[in-house]
Amino acid sequence: METKKNHLYWIVPAASIALLFLPFMTPYKALASQMLIFAIFALGYDICFGYTGLLSFGHAAFFGLGAYTTGLMLIHFAVPLPVGLLAGILVSTAAAFPIGFLSIRRRGIYFAMVTLAFAQVIYFVAFKWRSLTGGDDGLHGVPRPPLGPIDFTSELVMYYFILFCFVLAVILGLRIIHSPFGKTLECLRENETRAMNIGYNPKFFKLISFALSAGFAGLAGGLYAALQNFVPLFTLSLDTSGDIVLMTLVGGMGTLYGPVMGALSLVYLKDLLSTYTNVWPLILGLLYVASIMMFRRGIFRFWGRTKLSS
Amino acid sequence: MSIQFLVVQLFNGLILGSIYVLLSLGLTVIFGTLGVVNFAHGALYMLGAYAAYTFVSLLQVPFFAAIVICPIVVGLIGIFLEKTLVSRLYNLPHFYNLLLTFGLMFAIQDGIKVIFGPEGEPFNIPDVLSGVVDLGFIMYPKYRLFIILLTAALAFGVWFFISKTRLGAVIRAGTDDAGMVSALGTDIAKTFTLVFGFGAGLSGLAGALSAPLQNVQPLMGMDMLVETFVVVIIGGMGSIGGSILAGLIIGELITLGIVFWPPMAKVLVYAFMAFILIIRPRGFFGRAEFFE
Repeated sequence: METKKNHLYWIVPAASIALLFLPFMTPYKALASQMLIFAIFALGYDICFGYTGLLSFGHAAFFGLGAYTTGLMLIHFAVPLPVGLLAGILVSTAAAFPIGFLSIRRRGIYFAMVTLAFAQVIYFVAFKWRSLTGGDDGLHGVPRPPLGPIDFTSELVMYYFILFCFVLAVILGLRIIHSPFGKTLECLRENETRAMNIGYNPKFFKLISFALSAGFAGLAGGLYAALQNFVPLFTLSLDTSGDIVLMTLVGGMGTLYGPVMGALSLVYLKDLLSTYTNVWPLILGLLYVASIMMFRRGIFRFWGRTKLSS
Repeated sequence: MSIQFLVVQLFNGLILGSIYVLLSLGLTVIFGTLGVVNFAHGALYMLGAYAAYTFVSLLQVPFFAAIVICPIVVGLIGIFLEKTLVSRLYNLPHFYNLLLTFGLMFAIQDGIKVIFGPEGEPFNIPDVLSGVVDLGFIMYPKYRLFIILLTAALAFGVWFFISKTRLGAVIRAGTDDAGMVSALGTDIAKTFTLVFGFGAGLSGLAGALSAPLQNVQPLMGMDMLVETFVVVIIGGMGSIGGSILAGLIIGELITLGIVFWPPMAKVLVYAFMAFILIIRPRGFFGRAEFFE
């Protein structure tokens, strides 16, 4: 514990400074914003995957639902951006309850496959419901209305707003995992039968954990819609679900900073690769394979617990 | 809507169902024996279709020879993947292999895109099997009838192999207690490799067979994969009978969905899955707590 605290003394200020200047270090400012958006997504996802041990393969559903909800609210109701985001969070969280309720009837890899299947339902509905979602053309013309004196059309202002949301997400994430509730989730991951015998209801806690992570995904999705001024159908696809698992795993699941680092570096890497070569999905696929074969505990797992249950 | 039209559609549902059956048999045998949810299964199916395209269209190999060669080629690729990658993760939590094969899926898909280009390649029905057969009440394409009969024979073969032969018994025993089977003198690692190759070969065959029904394109496996998962979830993971029954049901559900309510055809499949999950979470013939 002592060494962990010592690290925190320099890590937090260093990370804060790096994040403040991030848009000036990336090739274009919106890339920095995208990196942070996926960091929020990965951070929330880790509550469900890393801490509770629920391998959801359908989290794109909540990212996409958040993106479409926020996008639609901004287009049709001209609401301020925070209200649109709140709507996205609410819809994603609400959708997570029925999906989670059905999915947690199965455990382990079955859970992964069932969540994947439900995510496909939402994908197909969005694909076919052209009048609402624009089908495979995506939802165009999402505005970024100003909030009082804050002009969100500036990429830099947008970045700092996303950074603000990210900081809120980190604080909330830390609060969740360090609370008794968070400890219960870890207990469930390690030994579900024991947790049940102590008197916890595993299904209840799993469902809440699933819904919480969906809320983070919804926020990330809403920010994505506003940032891009556009919601591509891609936000709901299996690729997006896989991406978020990879980011969490490469970074180091079960630590909040790991998935954040994983998201930041993979979004950056993807952008970098796609400017130099058009075979970047192949390279990313091989990287995925390599990271599972070699860096199972995460590339950024230099400190903290290195426990790996088998 | 005439009765004849409906009967033809029911037959078409059987074709789609047959492809699902072949795919889910491979998936379920691999899962039932190794505990691996093979996300690369769809990519192997696509490889089967590209192998058929390469042999038949580019190398002028006769179609019947190709449907023997293609499963072997894809099976060997499966054996290679199992030996070099999948087998190293057996003693870790199951999801590592799920994630590994997910990565492999993208690598294989994009590898094919690099080699053959992202556009689809046309593939014609072989001359011997083109034309229609008069079944008395309807005229039905020969090739489609061929798929139904071949699948029926293969499904019976797989069931017979797993439940009636000695090697099948070893495989079933290895599922429950690999350590014990190994201690009794069977090389379980070799058996596992063969099972993976066998499952891969089945999906390669499914790919080769479905090549003449559509354009051969890199994403064709991805489209089938999730529905194949639904098939094995509904049928009960690891159950051969379940795969066959659920494969045929899903095939009919999609085909009839397209006839009666096109936009919702796919959604219908998932709604059915949700319904099954509520009334019977382990699927038709699945074992409770199996590989959980």
